[in-house]
Amino acid sequence: MNRPILTVAIMASSVALVVTGCASTPAESGGPITISYTNFISNGGNEDNLAAIVAAFEEDNPDIVVDVTTLPYGDYGTAIQTDLAAGTVSDVFDIEYANYAAYQATGVLAPLEVTDPAAYRQSLLDAYSTDGTSYALPSSFSDVVLFYNAALFDAAGLEYPSSDWTWADERSAAQALTDQAAGIWGDHQPISFYEYYKVLAQNGESFLTEDGSAVAFNTPGGIEAAEWLVNKSGTVMPTIEQGQGTADFDTNLFKEGKLAMMHTGIWVFGAVADVPFTWDIAVEPGNTTQASAVFSNAIGVSAASANVEAASLWAEFLTSSQAMVDVRLESGWELPPISDDAQLASYLDKGAPANRQAVFDSLEGIALPPVVAVGQTEMQDIIGEELVEAQAGRKSVEDALASAEQRINAVLAG
Amino acid sequence: MTATVAADTRRMPRSRRTRTSPRLRYGLVVLTFLLPSAVPLALFTLGPMIAAAWISMTEWNLLTPMKFVGFDNYAQLLSDPRTSDVFLHTVYYIVGYLPLVYVGGLALALALNGALHGRSFLRGVYFLPVVTSWIVVALVWRWLLNPSTGIVNAALGAVGIEGPGWWSEPAWAMPSIILASAWKDLGFVMVILLAGLQSINPDMYDAARVDGAGRWRQLVSITLPLLSPSTFFVVVISLINGFQVFDQVYAMTGGGPGGATQVVVQQVYDLTFRYSRAGEASALSWMLFAVILAVTIAQVRVQKRWVNHA
Amino acid sequence: MFGVVLIGAMIMFFPFLWTIITSISPGVGLTVTPALFPDDPSLEAYRRLFAERPFGRVILNSVALAAITTIVQLFTSATAAYAFSRLPFRGRSVVFSMYLATMMIPLQVLIVPLFVELKALGLLNTYLGALLPTFASAFGIFLVRQAMNQVPKELDEAATIDGAGHFRIFWSIILPNVRPAIATLVVFAFMGSWNSFLWPLVVLRSPELQTLPIALAGLRGQYISDWDVIMAGSVVSVLPMLALYIFAQKYVVQGVASSGIK
Repeated sequence: MNRPILTVAIMASSVALVVTGCASTPAESGGPITISYTNFISNGGNEDNLAAIVAAFEEDNPDIVVDVTTLPYGDYGTAIQTDLAAGTVSDVFDIEYANYAAYQATGVLAPLEVTDPAAYRQSLLDAYSTDGTSYALPSSFSDVVLFYNAALFDAAGLEYPSSDWTWADERSAAQALTDQAAGIWGDHQPISFYEYYKVLAQNGESFLTEDGSAVAFNTPGGIEAAEWLVNKSGTVMPTIEQGQGTADFDTNLFKEGKLAMMHTGIWVFGAVADVPFTWDIAVEPGNTTQASAVFSNAIGVSAASANVEAASLWAEFLTSSQAMVDVRLESGWELPPISDDAQLASYLDKGAPANRQAVFDSLEGIALPPVVAVGQTEMQDIIGEELVEAQAGRKSVEDALASAEQRINAVLAG
Repeated sequence: MTATVAADTRRMPRSRRTRTSPRLRYGLVVLTFLLPSAVPLALFTLGPMIAAAWISMTEWNLLTPMKFVGFDNYAQLLSDPRTSDVFLHTVYYIVGYLPLVYVGGLALALALNGALHGRSFLRGVYFLPVVTSWIVVALVWRWLLNPSTGIVNAALGAVGIEGPGWWSEPAWAMPSIILASAWKDLGFVMVILLAGLQSINPDMYDAARVDGAGRWRQLVSITLPLLSPSTFFVVVISLINGFQVFDQVYAMTGGGPGGATQVVVQQVYDLTFRYSRAGEASALSWMLFAVILAVTIAQVRVQKRWVNHA
Repeated sequence: MFGVVLIGAMIMFFPFLWTIITSISPGVGLTVTPALFPDDPSLEAYRRLFAERPFGRVILNSVALAAITTIVQLFTSATAAYAFSRLPFRGRSVVFSMYLATMMIPLQVLIVPLFVELKALGLLNTYLGALLPTFASAFGIFLVRQAMNQVPKELDEAATIDGAGHFRIFWSIILPNVRPAIATLVVFAFMGSWNSFLWPLVVLRSPELQTLPIALAGLRGQYISDWDVIMAGSVVSVLPMLALYIFAQKYVVQGVASSGIK
């Protein structure tokens, strides 16, 4: 490299820096109010759908501009934590149910006055309110159902799963359907926190004590629930060594026609839509009672926002407006959190699966994840890790739960 | 040190006389060479490091104001058995990884330094894993090392050895990570050592050949000593990076099975962004810093005995 | 010998081949071993990559940031390395240790303080904010210093006798003699910027400022991911680095051949 080239290169880069540095400084003006919204919900294919909702909002509210930032789901938490620490969080931002309690407790969320609470599904609205005040609004929901490959059931001469099935029915069908020599597996259910708290509810147990200060799962019923999950591995479900537990494993196995039943969310409808065999869904079987997992995302308004009023308007629009309902139903982008089932009717005849009614029937028995204000993620990590220890056969289910109980209680005690 | 400076300034040309003293002028020269790097490093690395030291003495969940707790975080970490676990796992990784990657990288560099047909192409291919993302590499290695269906265990089975459970078994999970990491970083070590090999004067080999030295003799008495500055660099950098191993663990085992591969930086990441315990995370980072610094200082001390300086 | 190297090369190439095949096999998941010759190969994933996302812009951003980082790092590394190799001063080894020390703390804990600092400087969501922390690299300084230590001292002494000052010696004697190291640094500085994830993620938020690794991460959804598009993105991100490496390698060889003193 000779002198002139280096000089030019350095000068060019300095100029480039100055120019780009200036160009990206936001310009302040006295025009409409700009509110910022950081989200992950539109990431991975729904960016245009969100843009359509924003456009509808800006048309209704000409004096408000929504500045949208979309981040990858996997890294959203890191970015938003940094923002909260530095005080640069946007006016409106996405939160997951599991984080709600921690955010609410630390005062980062502004209390919201909901203009039309009746528009929301009550259970979802309640999930994001504390002492009767809403601190976030549900933006969508989806639930977990039992998917089944009807062709495999037909071939085995078995009845299809139905909403009155129990664990025993699922177990006997799974055993009959499993043909390891042919690479066919009867069942798949992740062995994780999100499944375990739900099967506890299905067995009439709960994860935490009533006051949330300690765990309550180390009981005969809790052990039975853990065994229900863990004992599937290697009998009717592939083991970890066979790939169980990796991303999209169950969906791919199902798409290949090698999995008869799987417990997963309605978000995979699109991914399995084009399979060359008939499939359908049913409400997840319970043991002593029916309980289904409901996942919901929500949006909160920053307590530090300079435009709480405009931000709340947008938050409410994004979660309950007709424009949002239309966009979501039209595009199949998760379900709107609204109470008016008539509006959702169009969802029922959108094609496979035929039994879309099961999506709504599942809501009759909801199991919400246990939440704590401090130590949520650690709690989830610990129970997941211990259950996998039991799945791999390195610990008995009893030992794993006893160990999880002791470790989680230590975290909850602070 | 002052004597050297004086000696050096005496050698400065005297043709241009200025009012400034030679010593001051020399100081200005040193500053001119150092400031371009010193300023950004001080502002954007040392500064945040000092801030992290302050955070390490607080209890902070990133949301509510920090609470000063003195050395409580350090005391708590020292009394937590998981702290020694994550350090031991990290050291285990380094001990397995470093010899493997150095010997492999050296062999590769020597092979591709010669007049080998298509060596540019081959160097490119060996560099591919260095630029391939860990997501892909982890996927492929998990597949190769699959306990029941993987190629590696199939090959072992063919010669009558029953293959281990690799990443699914606590005792074999770290060796799996080491293997994949060494494979991925071979190209990195190769590139550094190739640059070092290129700097060796070919005349040295001619002279050795005239003296009747064989290839092994040439390697031991010419190549390795003259390559020692590059070797020193590879060892220091690999240790600094090795203590901060994270990506491959995250991608291959996520710290499992049963926490058998949980390493220090993964714990730091979890504590900061997942468990909202920034104070403890900073304290753990400073403990890691102290360990790396001690190891590096030890190496700098020892290097005088084995690294060749022109 | 050649045979061993070639077999090794095939093993090295394998994961990349896997990436390419997955990228042209629509609808294939990651857990399934892709067929060597997919039944229904398609470039659809590449089309979607560029049609559904501003990938052209993203690549431009990544190239610009990496190029600036590389040029500035070359300058700051070479000058600092010269000081540590050729300019003795009191406390030099302490200063050098402090330089090295900047590599010894995990980036994960520096993110929040650094973010607060850049906020104070008003540089969040700007290229400058993403660039500033990359301007000096202890790795690069150490790399070049090691190379400079190998250049015989007799060369500078001869130049000093001829009346050359430090700037002349640096530019015309030392730099030409460490070309292999400089070429190596070009590759690693560019690669460091090209692959960096955590800092650009938190500091650059506007979609038009995004870099490649962030955009690639954005292809993975909350629940399910299109692996063929993700792998197409990986192929696109690997190729420029590979090209740069091959180019730089040639420069290493030519550099040594033409510098004349070897």
